[in-house]
Amino acid sequence: MDTIGWLILVVIVVVVAAVAFVVIRRRRRGGGVIATKDKG
Amino acid sequence: MSESFQRSAGRKVMSRSSAKELGAVSHLLVDAQQRQIAAVVIGRGKKAQLVEWAQLSGFGPDAVMVVDEGALRPPADDRERAAAEGRLELVGKRALSERGNELGKLDDVTFDADTGALEDLLIGDRRVHAGSLLGSGSYAAVLDESQEPSP
Amino acid sequence: MRLLMTASQIRGLPVVTVQGGEDVAEVRDVIYSPEAGRLVGVTLNKRGFLAGRSREVLPAEAIHAVGQHAVMVLDESSLAAPEDAPDDVAHPAMERNVLGDDVLTEGGASLGKVADLVLLVGSSGEVVGYQIDKAGGGRGYIPLPAQLSVSGVALVVPNITEEFVQDDLVGLGAAVDEFRARLGLP
Repeated sequence: MDTIGWLILVVIVVVVAAVAFVVIRRRRRGGGVIATKDKG
Repeated sequence: MSESFQRSAGRKVMSRSSAKELGAVSHLLVDAQQRQIAAVVIGRGKKAQLVEWAQLSGFGPDAVMVVDEGALRPPADDRERAAAEGRLELVGKRALSERGNELGKLDDVTFDADTGALEDLLIGDRRVHAGSLLGSGSYAAVLDESQEPSP
Repeated sequence: MRLLMTASQIRGLPVVTVQGGEDVAEVRDVIYSPEAGRLVGVTLNKRGFLAGRSREVLPAEAIHAVGQHAVMVLDESSLAAPEDAPDDVAHPAMERNVLGDDVLTEGGASLGKVADLVLLVGSSGEVVGYQIDKAGGGRGYIPLPAQLSVSGVALVVPNITEEFVQDDLVGLGAAVDEFRARLGLP
């Protein structure tokens, strides 16, 4: 592969890593607004 | 005499008994509940050592005098280790009210050089009496609610 | 100080000890009682960039104050192990997350979807209403006690709620009292 090819590969790897990172972080952080159950 | 954290940073530390230079002040460890300096941290990093306030013969304008160099010791617990690493440094820390609202950044702290008792906390252009200090740690210095800006 | 905050502003806030000045956790889920109209507690994440869920939880009684920048507790012992905490906080009913719930009147009209919960914070946490994404577009607020029933899918509210949809938080504060009066509540 020539230099351009390597460059593109590096960019793709970085983007995929960044997206995966954000997704994992979102999942781990989680969070919601939970209503307790009615006691009747 | 009134002294300040900012002014005393880097001041040389001398031994009274041997007249040797032991290092320089890097941090001051505070006991927030007593509003008092508990210990002086000398040096940085792994070589940092502590000397308790009671072991000083004087906190002077030109040098901090330690009774005897044998009073220097390595940090003994988590809090002292955190102090040695500089994580408990009051100056530059965020000031938080006990209501959970930020009041600004601690720019400096003044203390009585004779007793080590904290006097005032300087937050921006405000001067807050140290009696308002409820606690301090690696995240924040917590002040009582009287320091909240009135709505 | 009386301060209106939304649940999403509270989520992610650091939990800081008054006596230690340490950030011991951060807020993950906000748990509230729609019946009592108050904050019941919060679940926690550990601090740190990639840190996940914490085992410990924080019941409302152990909260010293909720502010704009931090949730304050007295010391680390305020955080409770699940076995020492009320069941609603220790094991929150995750299927009852109200975010995204459809807001339906008892007459069957949709007012929009729940976007957030609005609380009056300070030393206690009182729930004053919901922020909604209005069916016709835009943001609105409805006062509590609005709901007749709540599930993880929908919020059923009295028909008169429609008259009390407010465009801003300031309006909500004023609307709550009038709304309660109209419903015949104290």
